[in-house]
Amino acid sequence: MNPWPLIRAALLRYRFSALAFVLLVAAGVALAVAILSQERALRAGSARAADRFTLIVAPPGSRTDALFTAVFLRPGASQLLSADLTSKLLNEPRARFVSPLAFGDSYRGAPVVGVVPKLVEHLSRGLAQGRMFSTRDEAVVGATSPLQVGDQFRPAHGVRDRGAASGQGQDSHDLEVTVVGRMRPTGSPWDLALLVPVELVWSLHGQPNGHAPDSAQVGPPFDPSFTPGVPAAVVHTDKLAAAYQLRTAYTGAESMAFFPAEALLQLYDILGDMRQLMSLLAVVTQALVLLTIIASVFILFRLLAPQFTTLRALGAPRRYLFAVAWGFTASLVGAGVLVGLVGGYGLSFGISAWLARSTGIALEPSLGASELQVSLAIFVTGLALAALPAWRIQRENLASALKK
Amino acid sequence: MTLAAHALRLSFSHSGAGSIHALDDVSAQFAVGELTVIVGPSGSGKSSLLHALAGIALPQLGQVTFGTTVVNALPEPQRDAWRLRHCGMVFQDFRLIDELDVLGNVLLPAQFQSARLPNGLLSRAQQLLEQFMVPRRLGSVARLSRGEQQRVALARALLLDPSLILADEPTASLDAENGQHIAMALKTLAHDGKTVVVVSHDDKVVALADRIVTLKAGRVQSGSVVLG
Repeated sequence: MNPWPLIRAALLRYRFSALAFVLLVAAGVALAVAILSQERALRAGSARAADRFTLIVAPPGSRTDALFTAVFLRPGASQLLSADLTSKLLNEPRARFVSPLAFGDSYRGAPVVGVVPKLVEHLSRGLAQGRMFSTRDEAVVGATSPLQVGDQFRPAHGVRDRGAASGQGQDSHDLEVTVVGRMRPTGSPWDLALLVPVELVWSLHGQPNGHAPDSAQVGPPFDPSFTPGVPAAVVHTDKLAAAYQLRTAYTGAESMAFFPAEALLQLYDILGDMRQLMSLLAVVTQALVLLTIIASVFILFRLLAPQFTTLRALGAPRRYLFAVAWGFTASLVGAGVLVGLVGGYGLSFGISAWLARSTGIALEPSLGASELQVSLAIFVTGLALAALPAWRIQRENLASALKK
Repeated sequence: MTLAAHALRLSFSHSGAGSIHALDDVSAQFAVGELTVIVGPSGSGKSSLLHALAGIALPQLGQVTFGTTVVNALPEPQRDAWRLRHCGMVFQDFRLIDELDVLGNVLLPAQFQSARLPNGLLSRAQQLLEQFMVPRRLGSVARLSRGEQQRVALARALLLDPSLILADEPTASLDAENGQHIAMALKTLAHDGKTVVVVSHDDKVVALADRIVTLKAGRVQSGSVVLG
């Protein structure tokens, strides 16, 4: 049998209803797919962003806050490590290098972060352009910064929203910083950042700059007498054992040390819970959508009853009617799932692009097994539910129907 | 093969009205090569008889035979297959699928059994449309005139070359000229060797009948005319 000409005819006849049904199913599927895809992309993106950070040391408190400060350049709490602990940490002989992170300034929405050259080299794994900063009025910019090598900028107090003219108003410092290098992409918010010697940030904020007043030195060793506290520091070791030793050494009443993965796992737990909740909502929504569609199809088929009666009168077996009616609904569900799958992937791309713009975290959404499984589950449920109106229509008594 | 009704008794249960006796001891023969017209007042059981002959309505008593086949004794799937193979059905309101074009409507019965169009059916459909002078217009069949639509329905009924043509008021919704064309077409089919049974009030159809079966209150009237 070939029910397709009639399925096509029915779809054509009720094209606007069919389109509405397809869009309803697609919206539900897209939502579920986007949630799953985005959550995975966020996990992968955040893990990638944190990948180059061995150990983070911050004042006691929330590891997540410290992670956001160090990896995602979103400083929250204003608490600092004590000056004594900071100078001890920055001169830690067991580490390959320790970089303080000094915040407080921005330029046109991009954070200006005070670091040591070795952190820049480590994160960038070789500069894409130019050279490392060597004086306190030089900077290296992240891979996606609009500033070019040779450009000059004036850091401003505070961190402004993107697009605000900070750095040009009366809140800006009286210092021109020259861009001398550009990092390779890291897939993290550091791609947007403007990295300057930590001594510059300390100086601009009236603090001792880590060295004797007459010194122009950039980077370690730092003089304990002139080293202020920092909100966080990044520690890199050659061996994992050393990292564990330092983790233990700097976990106490004055500080906490942790591997980024530890904080990420906590974050993933929250993300996972949110995903489960949102997935549940999406599934419930989808179930309601499917039930609404099936109820509507029942009504549509009542309008098509004369045509189905004609088919039976012409000699069409009941299974042919079932195939036409089932195929009609199945086509709607199938098209909806397909459009939803593509739409969800597209939505995930859109969200990723938006998140990447606002956070700097490179997100690479993909269609994984979970999304395909959810789509398949919705499709199979839709196919099963489609049997209800089909079963109803083929049971109609032909003689009675012809008399109507 | 001769189609015959043997002492058919058919009643319907009707909500609020109890049981309605549509056919009561109805016997009639419908010979090959004849145009038989079933006449009678409204509610006399004409359509019920046609439906019983087509295996659509199952009588409580009696038999419908086609040659040696007892149609009403066949299980439903076989009855459907028998109707598809041997009966060409024509309706008063044509019952075409508006969203299909002319050819799509004519070819419809061929889709019930096989996924692919059997060899030769496409050319047969085109030949039938030429025979009934249906214009080869693309697009919905709904654009055709009513007369053309009924001729499409007739072509659809003849696609699988059935030996029986069962028509329920085929000219009732047509103007005089188109009604005459359809009546003549049915007469020609009978002369070509088909068994043609038509329920009609139309004098033009009755005038062409080889045999007339008159029903009243579900019974064949003794005065039914057998012409020729």
